[in-house]
Amino acid sequence: MKLKPSWSKVLLTYLAWAIVIFILWLPIAVIIAGSFKQLVDFSSYPPSLFPSKITFDNYKSLGSVTYLKNYIINTLILMAGTTIGTLISSSMVAYPLAKINFRGRGFWFGSILATMFVPSSVTIIPQFILFSKLGWLNTYWPIIVPAWFAYPYNVFLFRQFYRTLPAALDEAARIDGASEWQIFTKIIVPLSRPVFITIGLLSSIFWWNEFFIPLIYLQTERLKPLSVGIFSFARTWFRMRWDLVMAIATLMVIPPLLLFAVGRRYITEGIKTTGLK
Amino acid sequence: MPRRRANLIAYLFLLPWIIGLVAFVGGPIIAILPLSFTSWNLLGSPRWIGLRNYVEMFSGRGDFWPIVFNTLKYAIAGVFVSVTWSLFIALLLNRRVPGAGLAASLCFAPAVVPYIAMAFALQLLLRADLGVINYWLKCVGIQHPPDWLMDPDVVLWTLAAVTIYTYYTGQMMLIFDAALKQVPKELYEVASLDGASSLTIFRHITLPMISPILLFNVVIGFLNTLNMSFTIIYPLTAGGPGKASTVLSVDIYNNAFKGFRIGYACAEAVILFVLCALSTLFIFWLSKRRVYYEA
Repeated sequence: MKLKPSWSKVLLTYLAWAIVIFILWLPIAVIIAGSFKQLVDFSSYPPSLFPSKITFDNYKSLGSVTYLKNYIINTLILMAGTTIGTLISSSMVAYPLAKINFRGRGFWFGSILATMFVPSSVTIIPQFILFSKLGWLNTYWPIIVPAWFAYPYNVFLFRQFYRTLPAALDEAARIDGASEWQIFTKIIVPLSRPVFITIGLLSSIFWWNEFFIPLIYLQTERLKPLSVGIFSFARTWFRMRWDLVMAIATLMVIPPLLLFAVGRRYITEGIKTTGLK
Repeated sequence: MPRRRANLIAYLFLLPWIIGLVAFVGGPIIAILPLSFTSWNLLGSPRWIGLRNYVEMFSGRGDFWPIVFNTLKYAIAGVFVSVTWSLFIALLLNRRVPGAGLAASLCFAPAVVPYIAMAFALQLLLRADLGVINYWLKCVGIQHPPDWLMDPDVVLWTLAAVTIYTYYTGQMMLIFDAALKQVPKELYEVASLDGASSLTIFRHITLPMISPILLFNVVIGFLNTLNMSFTIIYPLTAGGPGKASTVLSVDIYNNAFKGFRIGYACAEAVILFVLCALSTLFIFWLSKRRVYYEA
């Protein structure tokens, strides 16, 4: 038996969807529309979302923004370095937590869960001292190296996925004399493609967006990623160059949206597994 | 496989995490405690001053209490906003109306956009005189709309409201969406055949069915709000006007990396850690009772 919703209910739902989507996309619309505005448009009254006259000058001027190319390349380096690192290390660490029955498993899984929510503001000062002692300030190492030692959230996602793989697979291989490393690399990893894609996408998006950690470690303009770069760029002007800032912001907004459009399935399904079970 | 060998191999797999835990998480957490008993500006060596940082904090002479109060106010308001907003959207997406898949994508997509870019747009939107929001409010007859980011009485609420644009709120929306899809459809059908109103159905079927996940999301949301607070607040207001929107994470940053008062900043980090540890323990206690992590 299926109930048909009434017309008024359907219309009301669409109206509510439209309002919610409008609110959520408003800042993105402001960014993209702003990138085609002239600077005067930002101080005109009444304010309007739309440019008074569409101009491409902002994008042309981006060529002369001193470090923009560096910002973009740095962002990509950080994204790649951290994402590859966390995929390798987190997938490994999750394996025994899901598939090997060993002493202390509860404790180590507990340590993953317990540290998942420690704010970076708590650990940042000793980390900063450690990395400055190593001479790593103004390098990418303080950002990339920790990623190679597993992130709790990603370990958790891998572990949740491994547990959905039938135990019979690895048990049969074990009886056949396969080593744990062989089981991991030959059976578990190939079957776990979806979760690798999910975490690869989530991690790339995360590091494209991350602001706090690079703000702490990268002071040299040439080394900053986009997130910190746009921030310092905005502050170099006596009078805020909203037009240029919005053009840079547009460059920042498009890639994660594209990644989401391409990997929507993997991202949403992956996130849902964090809530249940 | 002999048991001891299994143990050894398991620990080899765990090695990256064991090193990471010691070097980048556990070690630093332990290190902030002794550092909090010192006075240090990063140059020279730290000078032991006992409890003086804590005395300064708790005495009420400085701005510690207002900042703690701001932190709690912001975190509670922020979690309220992100939980109700994401639950509201998830409920909307679960109405049996064609197009729900597309709507879900459109609702989640903004969550992956860098918040720092959004912050510039929000600054424009929320300007007192030239902002579009206040212009619209004036158009519908509100003569004196607030100065969202510059009025000390309003700014924290504004910052709590913009958590709807964070990744974490989008994540929560997906989790609620998944939880709602698990509620047996028959319950709804029987209820609406009996003529129950939407509100009754929500209160007596939906809410009880998702209450474990709701409680869970509230605590996780609280932790995420604390975790994200620097990224949300610093680009928009830098903690101002005055210290009206300064929360612990922002003050730790200012003290440690602007004022170089490492000892005092570490004492604040200890307080922030205790706050998070208590909330995490609460999650553990909850999941023990509800058995969340058993697949």
